[in-house]
This record gives sequence, structure tokens and C-alpha cells, in this order.
Amino acid sequence: MESIKANKRRVILHVDCNSFFASCEIARNPALKGQAVVVAGDPKERRGIVLAANYIAKQRFGIYTTMPLWEAKKKCPQLVVLQPNFDLYRKTSKEVFQFLSSFSSILEPASIDEGYLDITDCHEPGSPLEMAEQIQKGLLRSLGIPVSIGIAPNKFLAKMASEMKKPLGITVLRKRDVPAILWPLPVKAMHGVGDKTAKKLNQIGIFTIGDLAKAENLLLEQVLGVNGIRLKERANGMDERTVDPEAKEKWKSVGNSTTLSRNVMEERILLEVLRDLAQSVSERMKQKRVVSCTVQIMIRYSDFQTITRSKTWDDPFQEPEEIFQYASYLFKRHWNGNPVRLLGITALDVFDKKEAVKQLDLFHFEEEAKKEVLWNTVKRLQGKFGDGIIQPSSELLHKKRKR
Amino acid sequence: MRLTIQRDHLVRSVQDVMKAVSSRTTIPILSGIKIVANDQGVTLTGSDSDISIESFIPVEEDEKIIAEVSQPGSIVLQARFFAEIVKKLPQDTVEIEVGNQFVTVIRSGKAEFSLNGLDAEEYPRLPQIKEEHVFKLPTDLLKTLIRQTVFAVSTSETRPILTGVNWKLENGELICIATDSHRLALRKAKVETDHHLSYNVVIPGKSLNELSKILDDSNESVEIVITENQVLFKTKHLLFFSRLLDGNYPDTSRLIPADSQTDVIVNSKEFFQAIDRASLLAREGRNNVVKLTTLQDGIIEISSISPEIGKVTEEIQSESITGEELKISFSAKYMMDALKALEGTEIKISFTGAMRPFILRPLHSDSMLQLILPVRTY
Repeated sequence: MESIKANKRRVILHVDCNSFFASCEIARNPALKGQAVVVAGDPKERRGIVLAANYIAKQRFGIYTTMPLWEAKKKCPQLVVLQPNFDLYRKTSKEVFQFLSSFSSILEPASIDEGYLDITDCHEPGSPLEMAEQIQKGLLRSLGIPVSIGIAPNKFLAKMASEMKKPLGITVLRKRDVPAILWPLPVKAMHGVGDKTAKKLNQIGIFTIGDLAKAENLLLEQVLGVNGIRLKERANGMDERTVDPEAKEKWKSVGNSTTLSRNVMEERILLEVLRDLAQSVSERMKQKRVVSCTVQIMIRYSDFQTITRSKTWDDPFQEPEEIFQYASYLFKRHWNGNPVRLLGITALDVFDKKEAVKQLDLFHFEEEAKKEVLWNTVKRLQGKFGDGIIQPSSELLHKKRKR
Repeated sequence: MRLTIQRDHLVRSVQDVMKAVSSRTTIPILSGIKIVANDQGVTLTGSDSDISIESFIPVEEDEKIIAEVSQPGSIVLQARFFAEIVKKLPQDTVEIEVGNQFVTVIRSGKAEFSLNGLDAEEYPRLPQIKEEHVFKLPTDLLKTLIRQTVFAVSTSETRPILTGVNWKLENGELICIATDSHRLALRKAKVETDHHLSYNVVIPGKSLNELSKILDDSNESVEIVITENQVLFKTKHLLFFSRLLDGNYPDTSRLIPADSQTDVIVNSKEFFQAIDRASLLAREGRNNVVKLTTLQDGIIEISSISPEIGKVTEEIQSESITGEELKISFSAKYMMDALKALEGTEIKISFTGAMRPFILRPLHSDSMLQLILPVRTY
């Protein structure tokens, strides 16, 4: 352990719950153990699909996620079909992460059923392998959740390693193993390469992870932009990303506040301050490529009494003008007229812009419809040359500044 | 006032008029039910000043005695208690007697309640409506009209006029339109009318919902009278008054696209079930949006992604796809609401582009239409 630390080599675990939804159900009702279990849309409905299947259902009966339920039942007439209970899954997920955090505080939940754990600086006795065994046994015993664990020097390799043996696997993947173990695999097997990317890579003669590891930078950049270079690094077993416990937290809100140089009572000046704050909050949201539906303002009066007020709107926002409108709406409703010492604006509960949708409105859709041709052209260009080929100038500017 | 009445008739009438009584009223007497008895029968009234319902129980119907009024009179009783009491009384008949200071005794078998009542003279008068211009609709058709439109009214008070359903009567045809600006429901029907009546009014969605609840599923006619600020629905023993909404309903006819770029014909039930499945994950995520993509050979792909939970893709075979290729995202809820409202096994969906409203219609009928605005993804 000590020598690893001295070398600045990290030890990262990727913990991946096996058939998570089905495992949660079996943990809650152990009588289901040993039976083929699936979680599916309304089981009374003949045409539901399988959302999750346990290993008995998968291996013994060949049932897979998204298989139509009737087909699954044909393969296994005694199949236990359960309706999804997302509250249970969220609760169990929380318990899993709580357990993991007892091993290392550097824990990054990546989704409801997987997370990364940096155990480089853990001074507990035993090798990383022994710790992984403890985690696996502990989760199975205390929560009834089986997990596969990958042990590697970085997040990418840890993720690839946890995929290798399921269920209840523990796999160590060293950087020197990469050519022998990863390179023969098809590129699609690589974390971060989806259907679309794989298709593009196949078109330029890259079929295995090994092909990708040895590919020309220039060619990759043409096809996939910066992402191409990043993928090549990964294919060579390199990944500089750190395990960031706040990776999710950081997304949750974006806010700015400013202490005024004196106590201010003039509404006009306070609104000007809000306008500046809206501008900077918007810029930071654009940098992170997030949007939000909820604005919160903070007002601190000269007597240090502080209030926060928030409101949620239907459509997500990111533009400074929108943020200013919402913030000044809140300010006008809640300011009691006393002198103000500090003002703040926070966009709460922010989320990835890709997840955002805007419900069009019968009386105003023409404005969006006019831009349709533009959006279509952008999408076609991105489809052909990669996402990096064309972007809103606002996002481009921020990237330059960041570099 | 003194009377004896069959309990089941009383219970039914009380339940009907209770639909109009609100527990949160600014006029205290409106938390009560007004009871008026005379030699014709017993009349119950409930109101929240927006909706007023009057239910009449005749002393005799089909040669059966329902009520005996030994002393005509009137009283207002607390709706909440009166409704619970009559529901739980032990015998089939109920005796109601008003004594001094409006104290009212309610007896059934060996149970006896005495309730403090209020002076019926204090109860607001119902709107006086001259029944000159009447048009008629069969009860079941009226309920269908309501069911197919009222779900689409707006629930937000930002544009109050959109919380109602627009009723337009012209040339013997009634057109009902509701929109919350994200989707629109339209239903037409021929109506019985002697006059060349023409109206353009907006009835609160809440009123229509309550009306629909108290109408039974018969094909007896409902008489409808519209005045400047009230509408009255009249059945054999029921009067239902509602306030109309003030203001002009937006002209939606020009917003409904007349031509289309892509036409898809699907089996309504299969399509509904596919959307339902796709939204299984979507409704747990941030928004309940599904994506529809036209593929080759009349195949439609329905998909949805919720980053934290997972994704779902399903291909369904349509009856036909004509026109341009299309990818469009929309609210699964709006789509399911619309499909539920439409009749017919086959539905034609006409699209005019990914950022424009699209229309759903039964394949062989133009009496109804559902319109949905898509969502823009970023």
C-alpha cells in the first residue's frame, strides 16, 4: 500500500451491482432466491417488457433486459414477474453507497447501481484484493446485493474490469495487461463507445480496441473530435480522471452572491446587482452545460437577517435574461424594503442540458419552428463530422477561455 | 316544515347537490344544503356560487310514494353533517321536522339527531334563467363530449380563460374545444334545436367535471340553456347551473394545421401500450418524454432514455407511413390522454415537422380531433 502511494499510483475500485432491480426485489423477499425473477412493466399486461432479470433468468433461460414479457414467460413458464418499485431501488442504492463510504470517503456514485471508490490512501490492513472481497461479502450479507468489482489504477480500467466477471466477480486489471486482455475485444465493448461511435470507427477500419489504441490521432480527431483522442488514450489504459465525491453534488446547484459595498435601499441599484449576478450564473451554467428550472435568491439585510426564496418554473432556463426575470420576480415579491447588505442568485437542482426538454406552446411554437431548419442542419453536420464540428458560439467561447 | 321521505332517494339527492358545496366558502350559509318542501315534493340545493345544483324529489313517482309532506316549509342544514347522517341512518324512511329556532330533528327508526339549522330566507337566490332558447343533447353524448375535451383544459391560472371548455353552437352543430396551450382537444356534435341559435361561450372545466359525475348513463335528453353569464343543464329532476368564464376564447381554428408532411396510421390500442411501456422509465425521470422515429417498411420506433434509470426501445408495425421521414419527441402523458379520448380502433396521426403541432384523428371520423405540441430537445 505504502509503495503504491509513493509512486503516486492510484488504486481505484469500480463496484457494480449485479441485476440491481431484481437483486433488490430478492433481498426484500428471500423466498424468491433460487427462482428466475424479472422486473417488468405491468405483469398483468401481456405485452410488458423485461426491465431487469436475475442471473438464473439470464443464464438458465436466456432472458435479457428489454425482452418482451410473453417471450420470457414462454422460455420460463414459472418465471416470477414483479412490478418495478423505484422507491425501493433508490433506498437500497443509498444503503449500498453508505456501506461503500465506510471503506473510503473518496466515493463517486456513477448511477443508481454503480460507483467508483479510491482506496489509494486507505491504511487498513490487507491488499486491495482483500478489501474488495470484504466489500463484496459485506454487501451480500448485510443488504443481499451481489456486486462485481473491478480493481485498477484508474476509473476506465476499473470499469472495464468489473464488467469481466459477473455475477460476484472480482477482477484486477493492470495497465500492463491491457494489450493482452483489452486489445482483442471489439471497440463496442469499450466503456464510452456506443452504437454510433462504433459505427463511425468501423467505417475507418477500426474494429478492435487494439486498432483504436494504435490509430492515427488526426484521423480520430476528424471523425470524433476531441473525444476520439480521449478514447485512444483509454484504449491504451490511460485515464486521468479522479474519483470525485462531489461529481454529482457539483451539478446540483450553480450560484453566485455579492456583498454590497454599502447598505442599499434603492430598488434600481439592487436590480442592477441582480442583473450582474444573473449574467455570471448563466455563464457558469453554460460552462457546465447545465440548465435548471428553479431559481433561488438570497437577501441579507443590514442587520444580517438573511432570507432565501425560490420558485420552480415549467421550462428549463440557462440564459441571463431569463434568470434575471425570475430573480427579480422573486426579489420584488419578497424584499421588505429594508437596506440590503448582500444579494445572491442560485440555480437549484441543475441538470445536464441534454436531458432538458422544452414543451412547445400552441400560441408560440412558430418561433421554435422557424429555427427547425437550423437545428436539422446542425444535427446533420454533427452526425457526419462529430459533435465538435459545430457548437453554439457561447459554448465555444467558454471552452477557449477554460483552456 | 315536516316530512317523511324514502332514505335512498334522499341520500342520492344529497350526494348530487353536495358536488356543488365547498368546505372553503366565503359565504358561510353556502356550507349548508337548502331543503324546501311543498305538496309537489322536496327540493335540495347546494352551491359554491360558481356552481349551483338543485335536485327535486317528487312526492310520488311511478305510482310509488317517495315523500309525504305534512307541513310545507324550508331550512338550511350543515351539508357535511347532514350528508353523513342520512347516509348512516338505520331505517328506510327518514323523518325531518323543523322546530323552534331552526333546530331540526332527523329521525329514522330509533335514532334521533337534532341539528341547528339556518333560515332558508338567508340562502342566496339561484340565477333566474328564462328558458326561451333551449337545445338538447342525449345524456350519454353530453358525457362523451365532456370526457373527450375537459381533460385538456389548463390547470394554471395564468390564462384563466383556458381553464374552461369553449362551446360554440352554429348551424345546429356544437363544437367543444379545450386547450392548455400544450395540447388541444376538439369534438363536434349535431344538436337538436328549433331555433337558429348561435353561441360562443366558455364553461369552467371544473363545472363540466362535476356535471359529468352526477349525470347517469341514459340516453334521455339534457336541456341546455345559455345566457350571458350562466349555463343551465336540466334533466328530469336536476338543475345544474354554472357560471361562464369572462373573456374571449382564443381563435384556435387557424392554429390547427390543415396539411401534413408525414401521415402515420396505427392501431390505437397497440400504439397506446407501446407509449405506456416507453414512459415506464421516462415518468420516473425528470420528464415524461418519449421519442418517435419512422423507420423503413412502415415500422415506428418508440424510445425513451432516463440517464439515471435506463433506456427502452420498441419497434411497432404501423398500418402505413406516408410522406417524409420524421423524428419527434413529445410528452407520453399527453399522447396517452389523447389516445384515451379518441374512439375507433385505427388512428391517423398527421405530422407537419418536429417542431410543429401534430393531429390525431380516428381513421373514419372527423367529428373529433386531438392536437399535441411536441417538445424540443436540446
